[in-house]
Amino acid sequence: MAHRPLISLSVLTLLSSSPALAQTNSTTLPTYTPAYEPRTVDERGLWMEADEDERALRDSPLVIRDEALNKYVRGVLCRTVGEDRCRGIRIYILEVPAFNASMAPNGTMRVWSGLLLRVRNEAELGAILAHEFAHFELRHTLAAFKHQRTASDLFAWAGVIGGLTNTNVGLLQWSLVGSIFRFSREQEEQADLLSFKYMAASPYPASAEADVWQHIMAESDETAIGRKKKPRQHYIAGFFDTHPTPLNRATYLREAALRISHGGDSNSAAYYQATAKFRPLFLADQVKLNDFGGTEYILGQLASTNGWTGDLLFARGELYRARGNPRDLVSAAQFYGDAIKTGFSAPEARRGLGLSLLRNGQVTDGKAALTEYLLMKPDASDAKAISALVTN
Amino acid sequence: MTIHRTLLIFSAIGIAATANANSLISPGPQAKIARSSLAASPTYEWNKLRYRGGKNVEIWTMDGDDLNKVTFYGAIPVGQPIFREANKKNAPLPRVTANMLITDIPALLESTYRVQLNTSQMNIDSQEPTLVAGYKGIKFTYSFVRQDDEVQRKGEAVGAVVADRLYLVTYEAPAIHFFDKDVEKFRQLVTTLKI
Repeated sequence: MAHRPLISLSVLTLLSSSPALAQTNSTTLPTYTPAYEPRTVDERGLWMEADEDERALRDSPLVIRDEALNKYVRGVLCRTVGEDRCRGIRIYILEVPAFNASMAPNGTMRVWSGLLLRVRNEAELGAILAHEFAHFELRHTLAAFKHQRTASDLFAWAGVIGGLTNTNVGLLQWSLVGSIFRFSREQEEQADLLSFKYMAASPYPASAEADVWQHIMAESDETAIGRKKKPRQHYIAGFFDTHPTPLNRATYLREAALRISHGGDSNSAAYYQATAKFRPLFLADQVKLNDFGGTEYILGQLASTNGWTGDLLFARGELYRARGNPRDLVSAAQFYGDAIKTGFSAPEARRGLGLSLLRNGQVTDGKAALTEYLLMKPDASDAKAISALVTN
Repeated sequence: MTIHRTLLIFSAIGIAATANANSLISPGPQAKIARSSLAASPTYEWNKLRYRGGKNVEIWTMDGDDLNKVTFYGAIPVGQPIFREANKKNAPLPRVTANMLITDIPALLESTYRVQLNTSQMNIDSQEPTLVAGYKGIKFTYSFVRQDDEVQRKGEAVGAVVADRLYLVTYEAPAIHFFDKDVEKFRQLVTTLKI
């Protein structure tokens, strides 16, 4: 029994160790230590694992090695967090069509292609990269590791002492489990706060991160509607959530942005231009994910920047053709036709048009479009199969 | 009485374990593959995995399914996905649709893989018409990388839609060594398919 107050005190300390997002108007950045080296056994261990992961990552077939794209993304990070901070960071862009980026304790930054497809300008990209950089600067992996270890130790000891003293410690153990997830959410808030400070010191508008979360919520809603589910956003995170909810983040980041009213240029046109070469690949990856509503939203957002360009219309045609309802095939044919009218020259527009028409019973027009495709791309990888559709 | 009951329980467990185990596919005619009218007559021994991945899916392998595997999708009806959905709520799979063209078969496989197996890199490398058990269908090759192991794999497949049901047989193996090692055995197997 004598141990119970001690355990309770430790748990209380553990549970209350992280502050909520500070309500401060200060945008002063903390002092940064370049070329930081790990100092403790725990930290050296984490860095060793991260180094090993990076060696494997460097050779991964998923890495997009295009020099211009990598240089551009690095440039956005450096303009956001500052040249001194970004100097030692290694960025790896991975072909993974989902919204994510992450950073390892040794300075390895992973950026997924789905993030590059979703953000609409340099400011939004910078905001997300800055958030990940903030986790790195605040050494969150180490803190989370130590917190989890302490919590799991206390969990085990509570079980032992509870057994010896015939005391029910279930509630205490649940609190410890909850503390791990709460700690993670608090780290996210801290990273949001620091990344907000980077944004305030950058040439980009500080409201960009709030914009990102608003778009993620809207996409999530459209995905739900497309899957005939109720769109639902929560303000309060669940017990097992590792991140605050997007609605919560959008709210506190918007409030913070309004307090400092920091303007700036988002550089939408430059972003659109810099990612143009890879957009067809990113769109093709997204279209094949069977997420009609979410993909429609992403396409709409991209079109809101530069209008319905040929590559967007083509991707929309592919999306509708993949769903394949009769009405979708009519729409798909329309989008392919519109893409061709804008001067979109990829032969695949004729392919998509022909296949849509063929599936909808417009055989003559469908075969004509497929014949055009074969004339434009006689050595296409599917030329024999398409020829068979034309001649049958 | 107690001893008899214990023996009975252990026997039942043993029988259940045997029923759930992987099994040997001997050379010769094999009917009702993937719980469908699909049949084949292999000339080599294969191992049929207990794990199926779907109601009308059957997996054969020689050295383990990560190293080489033949997957039979038998008579998948319109409106159904080819796999059992791992996360129906948040990652629903594309379905077999009416009036699919032969070129829609590799597209369906690719989309299914991207959603369910996280193959964020996948490419259909070639497509050509073929006869599958005497029905008009498609033969195609593909390559992909799954996020979880990042092994570069190659695949070859034949598929056809017969009476609004999809029949598809795929062979997959790591691009290094394993694909070439057994692809001829798959091609031989395909020549014996019957629907």
